[in-house]
Amino acid sequence: MQDDRRRRFELLALPHLDAAYNLARWLAGNSADAEDVLQDAYLRAFRYFDAFRGGPDIRVWLLSIVRNTFLSWVKENRSSRLVFVPDDHGTEAAEPAETMWGEASRDPESLMLRAADSGMLNRLVEDLPTEYREVLLLREVEEMSYRDISSVVGVPIGTVMSRLARSRAMLRHRWHAQSAKEASPKENRHGV
Amino acid sequence: MECDRASALLHPLIDGELGFVGRQRLLRHVARCGGCAGRLSELQALQTALRTKLQYHRAPPALAARIGAAIAHESPSLAPARRRLFGRRSGVPAGFGLAGGLVGAAAGVALTLLVTGTPSRQSDAVGAVLDSHVRSLLPNHLTDVVTSDRHTVKPWLSSRVDVSPPVRDLADEGFPLIGGRVDYVDGHQVGVVVYRHDRHIINLLAWSSPSKAEEGLKTLSRQGFNLMTWRKGGVTFWAVSDLEAAELRKFALAVAAAS
Repeated sequence: MQDDRRRRFELLALPHLDAAYNLARWLAGNSADAEDVLQDAYLRAFRYFDAFRGGPDIRVWLLSIVRNTFLSWVKENRSSRLVFVPDDHGTEAAEPAETMWGEASRDPESLMLRAADSGMLNRLVEDLPTEYREVLLLREVEEMSYRDISSVVGVPIGTVMSRLARSRAMLRHRWHAQSAKEASPKENRHGV
Repeated sequence: MECDRASALLHPLIDGELGFVGRQRLLRHVARCGGCAGRLSELQALQTALRTKLQYHRAPPALAARIGAAIAHESPSLAPARRRLFGRRSGVPAGFGLAGGLVGAAAGVALTLLVTGTPSRQSDAVGAVLDSHVRSLLPNHLTDVVTSDRHTVKPWLSSRVDVSPPVRDLADEGFPLIGGRVDYVDGHQVGVVVYRHDRHIINLLAWSSPSKAEEGLKTLSRQGFNLMTWRKGGVTFWAVSDLEAAELRKFALAVAAAS
């Protein structure tokens, strides 16, 4: 019977291992921590598997466990990494100027796509505060609906929407700032 | 519509979260407003960049085994008295290092289960299609022939199965072709064509159906995956993916239109 339960769990949960790992990896910031978080999360999911009872979407359920496991894990100070305090005051910590889209840039397709260098985009996403990074990942990588993201993160849909909008604005703002910084020394060199 | 309101709605627009009426109203505004049109194209460019350039970290192969082992280790000790609350310090159960070989073997068994199929709990078509999809996600199980060239996939499949799912170039629609394979579904040899949407794998299966009646698109959701099925010209089609239902529907419509 125990075997049966385990088999059922593995059949349902292991296929989503990549999605779960990707989220954990982006939250934890390194693979060693991500692996520990994920193992804890899967054990936790296994223990509470009876509570799941074949609900509508195991991926949403699993990812919310991964996320909560990560938070508990951070509270126990097991991460070497600086992490956010997961409450809604966190959103006020971001500079307001950064979180507004403002005027569209004149450069038509903008700088976003010109980046053959995807390294910078990845770094910028890594540097986003965790509560922004997670909604962005769930939306753009897992392609989850607002409703599913709200279940995973445990906040109302309105909060998902504002975090998403802010994360995009912040990313754009920092992208432009970074591009300008990287462009200017070169110009100076040529100028001299 | 005012620009403030429109700007706020651009995000739900690119996220596919606006209803038909709301979308039409917003697009009418964007058509007349250069500022909002600029913001929209920037947002779309950002979304494309994120979807194509953000690194996707796949679970290291050893991790599945490690988790399988940890769960196997956990299983017998689930009696209430011994149940521990979440929050163990070390990620690895204490006995893991010592019993590594043994536990590793158990994990092997657990994983083999995924490969060899379920103990006939899902004998219906939905379950069989889902099993095929799940098996395909294991390392090296996705494709037998890997190519985005449909002129390679098509003859390869035609020489192996009676009915091949449509092999089309749907890259322009956002569904590039990855390859094909032959799979056993419900005891039959079935042709599978594999497509992709961003990082989501879509398996498209087809087999000849005893019934000639046409059947429109039907959507199902199971175990965190979405499935679409339809019947056309005496052939039953199945598309399965962890892609969200609306996107999978687009895919199914593109395939149905092309077949």
